[in-house]
Amino acid sequence: MAAVAARRWLRFRCKVCLTLTGQRAGPCGQAPNCRFYSGSATVPKVERANVTGIEEVVIPRKKTWDKVAVLQALASTVNRDTTAAPYAFQDDPYLIPTSSLESRSFLLAKKSGENAAKYIINSHPKYFQKDIAEPHIPCLMPEYFEPQIEDISEAALRERIKLKKVKASVDMFDQLLQAGTTVSLETSNSLLDLLCYYGDKEPSTDNHFQQSEKSEELEEAAEENNEKPKKANHQFGNLWRPENNAERIFALMPEKNSHSYCTMIRGMVKHRALVQALNLYTELLNNKLHADVYTFNALIEATALSAHEKPEDKWNNILELLKQMAAQKVKPNLQTFNTILKCLRRFHAFGKVPALQTFREMKAIGIEPSLATYHYLIQLFYHHENHSKGSSLIIYDIMNELTGRKFSPRDPDDDMFFQSAMRVCSFLRDLELAYQVHGLLNTGDNWKFIGPDHRRNFYYSKFFSLLCLMEQIDVTLKWYKDLIPSVFFPRSQTLIDLLQALDVANRLEVIPQIWKDSKEYGHTFRSDLKEEILMLMARDQHPPELQVAFANCAADIKSTYESQDGRQAAPEWPANSLNSIAVLFLRAGRTQEAWKMLGLFKKHNKIPGNKLLNEFMDSAKASSSPAQAIEIVKLAGTFSLPICEDLARRVMADFAISQEQKEALGNLTSLTTDSDSDSDTSEGK
Amino acid sequence: MVWAARNALLIPVVAGTKNNVQRNFGTNSVNYSKKDEQSAPTHGISKETESQESVKENTKKDLLDIIKGMKIELSTVNVQTTKPSSRRQRKSVEATIGSLQKTLEDAPKKRTKSVSPELEAAASAVADFLRFDKQTTKSELLRQLQQHEEVSKTQKDGERTKISVSNIISDMKVAKSATGRVSTRPVHQIQFDEGTDSLMGQKTDDLKKSLRKNMLKGKRLNIFYLKTVTEEAPKTETAPSLWDVEFAKQLAMVNEQPLQNGFAEMIQWTKEGKLWEFPIDNEAGFDDDGSEFHEHVFLDKHLKDFPKQGPIRHFMELVTCGLSKNPYLSVKQKIEHIEWFRNYFNEKQDILKESGIRLN
Repeated sequence: MAAVAARRWLRFRCKVCLTLTGQRAGPCGQAPNCRFYSGSATVPKVERANVTGIEEVVIPRKKTWDKVAVLQALASTVNRDTTAAPYAFQDDPYLIPTSSLESRSFLLAKKSGENAAKYIINSHPKYFQKDIAEPHIPCLMPEYFEPQIEDISEAALRERIKLKKVKASVDMFDQLLQAGTTVSLETSNSLLDLLCYYGDKEPSTDNHFQQSEKSEELEEAAEENNEKPKKANHQFGNLWRPENNAERIFALMPEKNSHSYCTMIRGMVKHRALVQALNLYTELLNNKLHADVYTFNALIEATALSAHEKPEDKWNNILELLKQMAAQKVKPNLQTFNTILKCLRRFHAFGKVPALQTFREMKAIGIEPSLATYHYLIQLFYHHENHSKGSSLIIYDIMNELTGRKFSPRDPDDDMFFQSAMRVCSFLRDLELAYQVHGLLNTGDNWKFIGPDHRRNFYYSKFFSLLCLMEQIDVTLKWYKDLIPSVFFPRSQTLIDLLQALDVANRLEVIPQIWKDSKEYGHTFRSDLKEEILMLMARDQHPPELQVAFANCAADIKSTYESQDGRQAAPEWPANSLNSIAVLFLRAGRTQEAWKMLGLFKKHNKIPGNKLLNEFMDSAKASSSPAQAIEIVKLAGTFSLPICEDLARRVMADFAISQEQKEALGNLTSLTTDSDSDSDTSEGK
Repeated sequence: MVWAARNALLIPVVAGTKNNVQRNFGTNSVNYSKKDEQSAPTHGISKETESQESVKENTKKDLLDIIKGMKIELSTVNVQTTKPSSRRQRKSVEATIGSLQKTLEDAPKKRTKSVSPELEAAASAVADFLRFDKQTTKSELLRQLQQHEEVSKTQKDGERTKISVSNIISDMKVAKSATGRVSTRPVHQIQFDEGTDSLMGQKTDDLKKSLRKNMLKGKRLNIFYLKTVTEEAPKTETAPSLWDVEFAKQLAMVNEQPLQNGFAEMIQWTKEGKLWEFPIDNEAGFDDDGSEFHEHVFLDKHLKDFPKQGPIRHFMELVTCGLSKNPYLSVKQKIEHIEWFRNYFNEKQDILKESGIRLN
């Protein structure tokens, strides 16, 4: 505080110097040893004042800055750290998530902790009265959710409505009616708002996060399966019951204005009482009242959702509603058009022309489309992904229109756009378009529209798979370093795509690194990924140093199979993996381990491949050990493989073997020829 | 001299906040431009693949594609003719086509000075392979070769010719894209080739970019008119209903994202009121009806009613001096304080007269 006071004093001192000059020398007038401040922007002005002798000094207005301006400036200096997990996950190192599943539970855990604390504080406010913060911090204090007014009055009713106590409000309303008090129109309307919005059910207690997650997931599932009706049933589980409190109170109200009707219609549509909503609209018209734009939006939705009608009829009904809007001079808004487009998606092929016309209409009357608008268009035009030949090119128009623009949230579905745009890019296999979409995402603050976690993962998985498919491998690897893990955690399929890209570009030397990464991102037990890695490593011969690296990687993968054995009851060793690992050991000169692998074949009742046996033979020849060679022939014999004979022949030709060994060989081959007939069917390698 | 010093003293104080702020502004703009740059490379990556500067990189890949495609089909003669071009690639490329080279071990290693006969052979081989309008392809290739021959003769370093060869071969790839190709590449690669090929055929660049009608423009519904929509309706002031409030909440959730850095978290805390507000100065939480510091500091103007000189004046100047240093009082309180002295001296006028001091 002392320093603060001093600073003020200094300011004063210098000011006083100037104002007093000319009159008389003030106490500090001869104090040129005052602190010197650099950066004097107003020098010319003051000098002029000096020359002309005008004593009035124009004091520049103090600039007031937003309280977060400094922080915003600082925040903009921080870039994403490509080597670390996102900031939101930075915590105790032990807790930092390494896979998308973990990151999701991390966020959920964090949020539910917050919610639990809030719940405790709010349900026991009397224990949390101590206010230790100076100055007072309101958001840390308990909120009061219990009504404070005890008597029966309209004020009490208003308080209950404000606290969103559905049942208490209805009770209070009834008590007021019984007492003979008339409730004002305004209060009744807000009571109707409450009842209609929540469908005459108590709003769920403050776990918005969970709730929204749930509905999103349902939505996601519905979108993937294109099962819209199911979604409707699930998401609006809270259906409108006939004769509910809202309808009762609506009937009891002595006077009703258009707001009463409108909120009823909106409530009915929200809770899927579509027929009632349309009927109520007729009633509203009969009473010579007017609906507002929100009600029309709800009615459009109701028309589109109503069952047992052909798309053509529905579309005509929607047009009829729009004409009524125009006649009643109701101005349509963004939601009007978004609702139409959203509903047109359900008409599939029929919806395309109307959708385009609707879109042009909204542009023509100066309503700027939001991201959700484009999302609906994309969904409508790229509904059937399998028809690649006749796929629409509307995405190019959309992207041309959007590139370089910045968005602000205007529709609850705005965060779906990037996901669906990237889906189209991936389906069209157009890398340039994908870069364009990604560029748009990185314009300004648009990245905030990527949506919740699963949508971001979807977007980046598609984007990265496309990169793997189409981009040069060096660029792909650059993106790999850039995006993973600081933006998203790869799924195993993403990694397989990358492996295939590496294969195409002949950059197999990166594989051990990819395996290390995939272990880190929680794919240690993904057998499809492991098989792919092993297959790629074992397919061709490589320079020795690379073979050593591959063998190390193979040993690591082998250990995961073994630890999996301990973890799970069913040990699953695919024959391919056994083959590949053995080959890799052989090629790296780790003969001992390779021989151990041969033992595993027996243990897991799998059959070694011909190629593998030949390679073993090569290795035996290289070390000129006939014993090993015979061992191989024996092994082939125990599996009754047809290759046994060839191997035996090779042993005879290539090795100097003793008489006994020769005899042993002879026995082996005769054995196999006997059992050949029944083993033919069983072996496929 | 004194004046200058005083000016120098005053100006920084006045400009102090401003400069500070400007500096912040400065960093701000720099940061924004940095951000732009940061986003630029993402474009850059895409550009790079097309740009002619990085032809080497690009064509290397194209060349590899071609060579891979050829692996099986080519006869020994063709393989020999392709060899020089592949030999000239960098080491890494050699590694990538190692398997191909293995079969070429006995091919002539010495490269002739003039590349044209080899290239001609290569061109015809490639044209053979493409089976797509053999003659045109070949002649096109040869024409290009002739063009480049000049260059390769003047600059005998292999680098230059390498680029030209790569160019040619990459060009060939474009020319053949319409034909179906027999390839031995992994399955997904084949799929992708076919996919792009069919798409390419469908949206030849002209169609895609310029000639095609913009689907977002054209006939509309013609129900609403700009005039009726834009004209201001009489707006009745009503409190936002529950619907509006909840919709606003939904909208706010749309672009809610996990925080990106510690400063973003501090911004959030500031907005929630949990954090001391920046910039941290002596005015935080100090609401003085919007009065500014000069009103706090320059209190001389309130001394007009006091004598111009003498002990009262002297006393009052000391009072204002003291007040201007006091950070705890509001402007109103300071003025009230001065008022109090004025009343006090007015009340004591007779005593002052006795002592020979004039108040006015």
